[in-house]
Amino acid sequence: MKYFPTRRILLGTAAASAVLAMTACGGNVGGASGSADAYPSKPINVTVGAAPGGSTDLIARAVAEGASEDLGVAMPVVNKPGANGALALKEVQGKAADGYELATLNASLITITPLAVSEAEAVSLDDVEVIVGLSQDDYVLVANPEAGVKTVKDLTAAKDLTFGTTGVGTGSQLAQALLLKQAGIKGTEVPFDSGAPAVTAVLGNQVQLATVQLGEAKAQIDAGKLVPVVVFSTERNKFLPDVPTATEEGYDIPVSQYRAMVAPKGTPEDVQARLKTAFENTFKTEAYQQFNEQNLLTPREVSGEEVVSEWTELAAKYKQLTEKYDISLQEN
Amino acid sequence: MDFLQPVLDGFGVVLAPTNLLYCLLGVVIGMLIGVLPGLGPAATIAILLPLTYGVEPVTAIIMLAGIFYGAQYGGTITSVLLRLPGEASSVVTVFDGYMLAKQGKAGTALGIAAIGSFVGGTVGIIGLTFLAPVVAGFALSFGPPEYAALALLGILLVATISSGSKSKALIAAAFGLLLATVGRDVFTGAERFTFGNLSMADGIDFVPVAMGLFGLGEILYNLEERHRAAKAPAKVANVWPSRADLKQSSGAIGRGSVLGFFLGILPGGGATISSMAAYALEKKRAKQPGRFGKGAVEGVAAPETANNAAATSSFIPLLTLGIPANATMALMFGALLIQGVTPGPQLVDQHPDLFWGVVNSMYIGNILLLIMSIPLVGVFVRILRVRAAILAPITALITLLGAYTINNSMFDVTLVVFFGIVGYLMKKFGFEPGPLVLAFVLGELLEANLRRSLLVLNGDLGGFFERPISASLLAIFLAVALWPALQSLLARRKAAGAVETVKTQKAKEKV
Repeated sequence: MKYFPTRRILLGTAAASAVLAMTACGGNVGGASGSADAYPSKPINVTVGAAPGGSTDLIARAVAEGASEDLGVAMPVVNKPGANGALALKEVQGKAADGYELATLNASLITITPLAVSEAEAVSLDDVEVIVGLSQDDYVLVANPEAGVKTVKDLTAAKDLTFGTTGVGTGSQLAQALLLKQAGIKGTEVPFDSGAPAVTAVLGNQVQLATVQLGEAKAQIDAGKLVPVVVFSTERNKFLPDVPTATEEGYDIPVSQYRAMVAPKGTPEDVQARLKTAFENTFKTEAYQQFNEQNLLTPREVSGEEVVSEWTELAAKYKQLTEKYDISLQEN
Repeated sequence: MDFLQPVLDGFGVVLAPTNLLYCLLGVVIGMLIGVLPGLGPAATIAILLPLTYGVEPVTAIIMLAGIFYGAQYGGTITSVLLRLPGEASSVVTVFDGYMLAKQGKAGTALGIAAIGSFVGGTVGIIGLTFLAPVVAGFALSFGPPEYAALALLGILLVATISSGSKSKALIAAAFGLLLATVGRDVFTGAERFTFGNLSMADGIDFVPVAMGLFGLGEILYNLEERHRAAKAPAKVANVWPSRADLKQSSGAIGRGSVLGFFLGILPGGGATISSMAAYALEKKRAKQPGRFGKGAVEGVAAPETANNAAATSSFIPLLTLGIPANATMALMFGALLIQGVTPGPQLVDQHPDLFWGVVNSMYIGNILLLIMSIPLVGVFVRILRVRAAILAPITALITLLGAYTINNSMFDVTLVVFFGIVGYLMKKFGFEPGPLVLAFVLGELLEANLRRSLLVLNGDLGGFFERPISASLLAIFLAVALWPALQSLLARRKAAGAVETVKTQKAKEKV
């Protein structure tokens, strides 16, 4: 019985700080400083909209590991796969905006998926607070050595090629479809469920080429089992310095995967700032930098505002490109 | 001898005390999570991953691998005792395992499963040791047409697996195929039967369906017939299978090992398909196929051997090609990356100590599991002596909790309840849930790969017969499909012949 009123007081305090937090959003930053001292006082959940083991999951775990040390509380990673990550994001949006519920977000969900799925499923950056950008993951077009293609020029000369993609509404599908149209390559696109089966199919020459994320094909490229043809980032990837970009080859295909850390809309600004500091401190650690190297990720540690403007720009760009080249991600 | 040197060095790595300890730790954790339905090896490895940061790469992978194959041992226990398959690969074990348990022979079923698992696992490791590079090529020659043909064959085998009425099995299987179409179309992005629900966008997860149909459905059915359930076997003895049982299942274990090893290499549902194929093979070969589904030891031995052999051989694509064959292997891939080792074609040359250390740790791990599971069988079997009134709610609770932990999703819990009711009704009206679940698993594989094949083959169906593997699989399909018709034709002729001889005999007697 003794604890009952205490709990009530706690609840009252929580409600009060929530009110303070709301005023903080209105511009009254000074009023919320009290809650910043208390934050964080309990574990912070990081929801990942992908199954354990993939690169999104590994990145979330690496970031959470570093940030939890800085913040002094545990940061358990919760996997909630489904609908390309939309499911996890929608769930986190519904949680209290108190800084104890975070999620990782893939740019493709904002910039590419809406081109392929119904409007009801699409998610928007307006519904979240972007804390910080994390990293960039590049797409590479790889070929089976037996296909005899080494450059984009070889592709335009060849006929009856099959191109694997990693699924509908992915950067792999968009980048490849744009390349086929812009370079006038004749080929059939074959969607697979994810990167690994697509790479297997190219290794076995079931399809001659596929566009996958670099981490999924680097070991095979190094072993000479796959030939890298072109990278879809605007600048050369530092892990594949000899492979030209599509931009260099004269095509307009700026497609990469970006990831960011987000919180529900209305999370107090001082809490956001505290989180941002924790993530920035993580980025400086050797362990995290090593993690990026091992997973072939290029750091893209920009502010939340930059993420919003960059991704919004990309979404508009992709929409314009697909319209210009008459590409529909919904049909094959 | 050059080849054997790194192999022997690998044993040196495993026998280091730290590595032995982590191996033991891995298999014990694996076995425990195998017993808990829902919590699979993938989730466990994800949770325990940070624990491995501080140790040597080879030690870390030895432990994680132990969790994976240990879970295959543990998964059998709930399938046999509670009719709760934790994974797709132990669905077929339920059919005969649970019947054996009902007959008071749970110990025999678990003992045979442990021995089969040990043999299957060991054969898998020997294959991994000597054939890994050769066999990796086999996985690569499996393209979309081969998968489509294999799935087609699997769906046909589903019909032969069930023991009840053929037409009811077909109806259940058709329902399973229909369920497999739910979700976002992989080719066009169109929503199919999702009713605008995001939770269904990726389709329905297999585990809640199996848990509901088998687990909850069984509990509900037993509640109705409480008086009968109360008469659960009072005496559960014979932990060690009798010599007759061993003899009866030795063939099944041998064939299951080989089949499991080869099918396990295939990415995707390798372990599931191999357990089904092993079961169907034994049923086809049996002199009295009618015994299957009513408590045949081979029905437990074959799939359990095959799924362990498959679990081991699924390491081959990861370690030799750098391709994870399933979710658990994807985590191993991640774990290796964290340790600074990139799995791929160069792994064996660059890190021979790691490769052979991990492979050889599996020999030790399998022996540890066998030693642990035989005495533990007696302990687990006692679960059956708990009164139904106590056991039923606890099982239901574990099932629902387990369903939640897969994707941390309440939607999956609702699915379990829904399919629990479906399972109860099916059982009440004489439908087997087995064909439904298996067709559900294979339906997705068939549809996606058939459409993919048609893209690759430019819409030419003849292409299926121009590729050697898909052509052979389709030939087997035709043979299996036409066999019953042929058999009845032959039987009729024989019967007609027999009648003739009887007539002549009778005629002779008269004379």
